[in-house]
Amino acid sequence: MKLERSDRGPLYAFLGPAIVLMVVFFVIPVIYVFVVSLLKWNGISAPVFRNIRNYTLLFKDTAFKRSVINNVIWALVAGFIQVPLAMVMAIILSRKPKGWKFFRTVYFFPQVISGIALAMLWRAIYNAETGLLNGILRSIGLGNVACDWLGGIKTAFPAVLIYWVFYVGYYMVIMMADITTIDTSYYEAATIDGATDFQQAIYITIPLIKKTSLLTCVTLASVMGLRQFEQVYMLTNGGPANTTSTMVLYMYKKLQDANYGIASASAVVLIVVGVLFIVCIRMLFEGQSDEAAMIKKARRAVK
Amino acid sequence: MKKTLAILLALVMVFALAAPAAFADDEIVINFPSVWVGTDSKAPYMAQLIEQFNAENAGQIKVVVEEQTDYQAARDKLRTTITTGNTPDLCILDTTYDILAYTESGKFMDLTPYLAEGWGEDFVDGTFDAWSVDGKVCFLPFESAVFTPIYNTRIFEEIGWDHFPATYDEFFQFCEDAKAAGYNAMGQMAGENAWTSMLWYSLIAEAIGGKDVYADGLDNPAFVEAAEVLKHMYDYTFEGALSAGAGDVNGHWLKRDTAIYLNGPWWVANLYKEENAVDGVLLADDCEVAANPVYEGGQGEGGLVTTVQAFLAAAKQDDPAKEAAVVKFIKYITDPQHVSELALSSGAMFFVKYEPSPDTNVISQKLTEVANNADFTILHVNGAFPTAFSTEFPAAVSALVGGQVDAQGFVDQLKMAIEMAE
Repeated sequence: MKLERSDRGPLYAFLGPAIVLMVVFFVIPVIYVFVVSLLKWNGISAPVFRNIRNYTLLFKDTAFKRSVINNVIWALVAGFIQVPLAMVMAIILSRKPKGWKFFRTVYFFPQVISGIALAMLWRAIYNAETGLLNGILRSIGLGNVACDWLGGIKTAFPAVLIYWVFYVGYYMVIMMADITTIDTSYYEAATIDGATDFQQAIYITIPLIKKTSLLTCVTLASVMGLRQFEQVYMLTNGGPANTTSTMVLYMYKKLQDANYGIASASAVVLIVVGVLFIVCIRMLFEGQSDEAAMIKKARRAVK
Repeated sequence: MKKTLAILLALVMVFALAAPAAFADDEIVINFPSVWVGTDSKAPYMAQLIEQFNAENAGQIKVVVEEQTDYQAARDKLRTTITTGNTPDLCILDTTYDILAYTESGKFMDLTPYLAEGWGEDFVDGTFDAWSVDGKVCFLPFESAVFTPIYNTRIFEEIGWDHFPATYDEFFQFCEDAKAAGYNAMGQMAGENAWTSMLWYSLIAEAIGGKDVYADGLDNPAFVEAAEVLKHMYDYTFEGALSAGAGDVNGHWLKRDTAIYLNGPWWVANLYKEENAVDGVLLADDCEVAANPVYEGGQGEGGLVTTVQAFLAAAKQDDPAKEAAVVKFIKYITDPQHVSELALSSGAMFFVKYEPSPDTNVISQKLTEVANNADFTILHVNGAFPTAFSTEFPAAVSALVGGQVDAQGFVDQLKMAIEMAE
């Protein structure tokens, strides 16, 4: 649709403030970060142009490589384990079984608690000497499994990651809201055709939320995975041996060292990785079945 | 009506904005972000001192404390404020490595002329030698610290030891005995900033490399050898030390299941707290101060690990009256009588020459004696190397103890961190 000349004024007037804010608070800072990534600068002395040396140093640093890998794992786990778990919960609770409101509240409750508080709680649970986890293991005769969960090279990252995966409430609520908007006639027709609850979920619910809330949740969760900071900072501060480090934590540590050049270079890499992730997720969800195809598929399945 | 109301509202707003300025008196406000607050051992007396200063200068000068309970956060904030041109009127710096850049930034007040007027004589001789840049003292060394082991004599006796190990060989024999008796020989921590392990590493490096241990940076082989010893120490600490923080180390020491403790003198006050007593016996009554053991073949005998725990620095002022007010307050804090009181209440040590109170506790007296008798002193490793060293140290220790790197790899990891910052 081509805009009339007279429509352009109001259009620009409405878009203008948002564009200005976007430029001031996003575009200019990103350009600034990129420029600083080419400098050696401690924030106090005069900056020195360093060309791409910050980037070469960055990719030589095993701690940074470990951080990138951890972030990618985190984003994948978030997008493809945490969100599907949330989706299962959303599908179950949106069928409104007995006590569904209670469970919805229980699953969502951790979202209203500060991430720092949760991390402190889990730090106590994982404590090698007095922690609940080791206490339970010892009490059921599995004392040999008990260990320093957050201090072990092999156990620290899974320990930091696993507890967080189960906090699905946020995504669950988003998907539940979407599921409730699905026309109930689809389910009625499917029930008449003999489709089970499981088949209805697979062939009706999931295809209909795939391009809306599911895509949103996968994108959000992956981006959150790439932005991980407070849990890791509070639980392990990236240790032991940087095995739990993430890109944001790495960047934070470089800022603590007043190494603004390297910190900015890692921020640029984080932006690139983030963009790549979002593009990949969108590609993955592109070309999926629309509503009509879903109905056709469902009918075929039931037959 | 609407128009009148709008004008009236506008006038009210303008008046509200202008009123504070219109009624402001000539009181000078000194903004002081301080870490000596909360549970810090210097907090109670510092608060009293500031209140007293404000009362004595009521209507003329007012010191406003911005509480900073986290040292690292305070450090980060200080750098940000300096970078953005908002250097606080007065600040505390606990890192030695930033002094050069901060002084060269020209954002700090040169205290040299004031010190030359006689104020400098209040300080221990030679205090400013290492900390002046191009003849300027912008960062005034205030709080000092010595790091030497304190041990629990009751545990030693129980294990059958009547003296603190004189050598590191003997030290590890003691560790074996302590372990066999169910005690942790010492606390270690690789979590948080790995403070305790950093101190032990400094002591070992000093014992091996002596006073010139930092002459070649991390290229001195003493650092690799010290890493081997540090790794060995982790066999004699409590479970979970790789993820432990200061709270864990202190907790074990207070529970009396750790035989040797290493921290700065500011911690001494805790040894005398009733709340840390067991069966009415203060922990201090079971404590003794020891010297760093001698390392066989090492060059560190008689040496001591120290640091400047806190510098005082003031922002450069355009207003001479404000500059005079800030200097007046710094002089007030560093007044020998006040420092004596501060030392008594906190156990901390200072660069100011003061008459120790006769009530000074025994442990603090012994620490002072150790400091006075040292043949030479070196900084701890965090103070001697760039900040990147201390940031990387916890990761390097856990990699070393976790078996991911050997002692040489540990040192290389730290070198890499420093290289990235240079």
